[in-house]
Amino acid sequence: MSMSNLLLTTILLPLAGSLAICAVGRDARAARATALVVSLATLIVTAILLCNYVPGDDSFAAWSYAWLGETSAVDIRFDVALDGISLWLFGLSSLLLLACVLLSWDAVTDRPGTYYALLLLLGSGMLGVFAARDIILFYVFFEFTLIPLFLLIGMWGHEDRQYAATKFFIYTLAGSMLTFLALLSIVLWDYYHSPDGVMTFSIPQLTAGLAARPIAEPYQLWIFLGLFAGFAIKVPLFPLHTWLPLAHTQAPSAGSVLLAGILLKIGTYGFLRFSIPMLPDATVTCMPWMLALAVAGILYGALAALAQSDMKRLIAYSSVSHLGFVMLGLFALTSVGMEGGVLQMINHGLSTGGLFAVVGMVYERYHTRQISELGGLARQVPWLAFFFLVFTLSSIGLPGLNGFAGEFLILIGMFQRAFVFEASTPAVAYAYKAIAVLAVFGVVLGAWYMLWLVQRVFFGPPLESDHEHAAQPPRDVTPVEAAALVPLCVFVLWIGVHPEFFLSRMRPALQPVAQAAIAALAERERAQPPVAANAPAAAVVELPPGVLSLVE
Amino acid sequence: MSSETVCLLLPEIILALVATLMYLGGAFLPARRGWSWLAAATLIVAGIALARQTPAGASGAASELVSSVSADAFAYAVRWAVLGVGLIFVLLAARTSERGESSEFMATLLLLIVGLMLVSLAGDLVLMFAGLELISIPTYVLLFLGRTKGTLESGTKYFFLSVLSSALMLYGFSFLYGAAGDTQLSGIRSALVASGAELTGTGAFAALALVLIFAGLGFRLTAVPFHFYAPDVYQGTNNPNAGLLAVAPKIAALVALVRIASVAMPGTERLGWQLALALAMITMTLGNVLALWQNNVRRLMAYSSVAHAGYMLIGLAVGFAVTGGAAEASNFDGVGAAIFYMLVYSAATAGVFAALTYLGGRESEVDTVDQLAGLTRNHPKTALALAIFMFSLTGLPPLAGFWGKFTLFTGALGVDARNPGDSSLWPWFLALAIVGALNAAISAGYYLRIVGVMYFRPAASTPAGRGPAGAAWAMAACVLLVVGIGCAPGWFIDESTRASQAAHTALGAPRIVPDTAAGDSLRPSLPATASAQLLPIER
Repeated sequence: MSMSNLLLTTILLPLAGSLAICAVGRDARAARATALVVSLATLIVTAILLCNYVPGDDSFAAWSYAWLGETSAVDIRFDVALDGISLWLFGLSSLLLLACVLLSWDAVTDRPGTYYALLLLLGSGMLGVFAARDIILFYVFFEFTLIPLFLLIGMWGHEDRQYAATKFFIYTLAGSMLTFLALLSIVLWDYYHSPDGVMTFSIPQLTAGLAARPIAEPYQLWIFLGLFAGFAIKVPLFPLHTWLPLAHTQAPSAGSVLLAGILLKIGTYGFLRFSIPMLPDATVTCMPWMLALAVAGILYGALAALAQSDMKRLIAYSSVSHLGFVMLGLFALTSVGMEGGVLQMINHGLSTGGLFAVVGMVYERYHTRQISELGGLARQVPWLAFFFLVFTLSSIGLPGLNGFAGEFLILIGMFQRAFVFEASTPAVAYAYKAIAVLAVFGVVLGAWYMLWLVQRVFFGPPLESDHEHAAQPPRDVTPVEAAALVPLCVFVLWIGVHPEFFLSRMRPALQPVAQAAIAALAERERAQPPVAANAPAAAVVELPPGVLSLVE
Repeated sequence: MSSETVCLLLPEIILALVATLMYLGGAFLPARRGWSWLAAATLIVAGIALARQTPAGASGAASELVSSVSADAFAYAVRWAVLGVGLIFVLLAARTSERGESSEFMATLLLLIVGLMLVSLAGDLVLMFAGLELISIPTYVLLFLGRTKGTLESGTKYFFLSVLSSALMLYGFSFLYGAAGDTQLSGIRSALVASGAELTGTGAFAALALVLIFAGLGFRLTAVPFHFYAPDVYQGTNNPNAGLLAVAPKIAALVALVRIASVAMPGTERLGWQLALALAMITMTLGNVLALWQNNVRRLMAYSSVAHAGYMLIGLAVGFAVTGGAAEASNFDGVGAAIFYMLVYSAATAGVFAALTYLGGRESEVDTVDQLAGLTRNHPKTALALAIFMFSLTGLPPLAGFWGKFTLFTGALGVDARNPGDSSLWPWFLALAIVGALNAAISAGYYLRIVGVMYFRPAASTPAGRGPAGAAWAMAACVLLVVGIGCAPGWFIDESTRASQAAHTALGAPRIVPDTAAGDSLRPSLPATASAQLLPIER
């Protein structure tokens, strides 16, 4: 079977699985068994794909089919392929999908058939988003993920689920409709200005076309803002994050895991795929604002997390903070920063996904998410505490675990950006350095709120005021749950120890993304001649030697 | 009346004849059952008759006009769609109508369909008016037959307002006749072309005619200032009738607007797009916002239908604005998008009312949203179908509604994308697209509420359910359409684009060069077919 067919299989397998579950009907065991088999098969096929990936391949396993018909004048294609950017996000989606099926294994007893069908449907949507190479296909998958997640939150969520589901849906839809207009504008601009008069929806072709015939600047800004509306809400970037804590808190565990682990990344992925390469001038214009919003999100998310009394809410706010780091890395517009940003997307998916999973397990055992009602869990459920600690350490960036590699690269990238400006415009350089320093401060805050959470919940004296578990102590991690968490831990460690394995595969794809934007930036700096115009990658940054070896 | 015309009108003639026989039969035969079978069979026979015809113009015939009947690809597309809609409603109402006067109900439905088909064929103001009245008058009867709780409020209200709107439209037609001196659309067109872009002399009446025609047809389309009857009337009748009201008059209005306003009245484009654009924005927003507060399902769907009328007006506004030829903005001329949107909307809306009819069972009706609470536990399939319709109406992929919005927005954004620098149009159409986009989010508010009620709430009072099988079949057909178009929209989009191009070329004459509202350089006025092949100008 060729790679192309494998890729298509991977995307359609969960969809087929969800139809199969519908056919199976209401039998709970059959439903979850089907879900397990399907998600495991998806992961295996994904693993085969990832293993065969040749670094530098831009259209790995490409599969294309004229969606609206060969004769149709509107050439929207069902066009999927992987490249270095989407590769790991694709893999992460498969991994978390399996983890979600496993962690729902005993947890979901209410209408399991529908539940697993929706979960798999969501899986297909997520895999499709990252593989899509057609702008409309991307959008179709992007929007499609809303439906299953809406139903998952609304049907299996907690007390305030209906409101949370609706708010999540409408908030996201409002933004993404504007994004839709912006995407259409991009297509139309290319159509009206390309010499061959063909209306193309292919992302690589559009990227190439817009590089050759850039959009006039005022329109770039408008289109950028349109894309921003949808992607920034999805990320969520600082002032637009208000739907997130609610949705995360009310969603069932698996919903939170996938929402945090994958769906938020669609926003950052969108910036990376569309905004930065297709709208370089607007990117440069908006860069300071984006960086400021990102760092505001880092600090705001961290401070808000410190103040939470609900574990899920706390982790939700930590997501705001972490995604701020990702945005910082991407919009630093240096290759190191972008690598860090993409790596941090994966890291956040692993660590926050893991944290939500463990919190879900805690909730199942103690029926509360309130920090004040928990304590000393490490004695009762040591393995659960262990897993939580691993993901916490990963999340706060302990060297040797994945979070460190990502955050470190992002901060380097940000400092590089600042140093590039040093010679030409020192004021800008100071501002950027300030942003970087504030971001470092965010790391410190992150360690504070996470470790404090661990201390309050897992250590300290056990609080058993209204939860009498003395008679029958809650069981520790079951083998099924362990099977969900262990693979995440493996990757947490793997990325932490050897990030280069992952970075080397994404680097060639990331290289051209910011090229136009960096060139535009250099263009604007050209007023101050020599040093400023250098490519940022060439900027000299002194690094402690030990640290460098870890990164390289 | 030549034999050619008889051939052309054969499907309509069959339908009308059978309808008459059914009226007669209903009076003398005691049978209640079986009339819906007869109606369905008649529709299928009419379909076969239609299939044996070939659209004029396809063979390259010089004259597509047989006297006042223009049987172009546009008419064919609409007639096919209308037959389909008819079949769905026959199924939908099959058993419900047994309670009342079955033969009368089915015969009236057939006549209404004839009216719709005639409107699409009309190449003449008189025939068009006759067609429109052939829709209105059966509607009064249907509203009378479907009256609930013994009141006639809904029927009376509709009757008076409908008569008023017909009068307005007729007044508009008379001005049009005054301006052009002809009742044939092609004649009107050439007369207005002759009077020039500024519409000097008697041509100036064309603008007044346009406003009046907009008003008269706006009533049927439920565009905003003329929408206020809709919620009351829908609420006051039963579910099948409300569904029919939400679909049939809108199709007629859209078809008539395309025929008269955007095709036959050159020189009024500027007023046309301004009118359509303003109406579209107001209609969408008001419809959606008011729908948010409704608890009666039919009232809610009435406001939803108002909102969707606003979306169709986007397409019409684009159609007016893109004056250089039907195919100017590549494949997304607004009119084609509006036709496609109509199809998509009709499928989902008919489906909603089919589901409601089904849930109502044989005796009762589903009236409020709360009655749907926890539906997924008792009627999972119906709940799923309703959810699919709601998501499609919201415009989510991969359902039909998404492609409807896709074609509309592409059309709106494509207006003057070619010279964005020196045009006064694009900000307006950008604003229109943005309003449309945000409205999708507003509409999600109430569509999701229905989904939420069905899926998230515990079952309160179970709707009777297990309703007529016909309604279930109609619902299944609509699901198939909505999902089918969603997964493979290509053919439908292409066909509706072709239909709209045919409507433009049917009248033969080259389109007039617009007044310089567009601020655009004077483009050569070419027939649509020629300009379709024009490559875009380099920057």
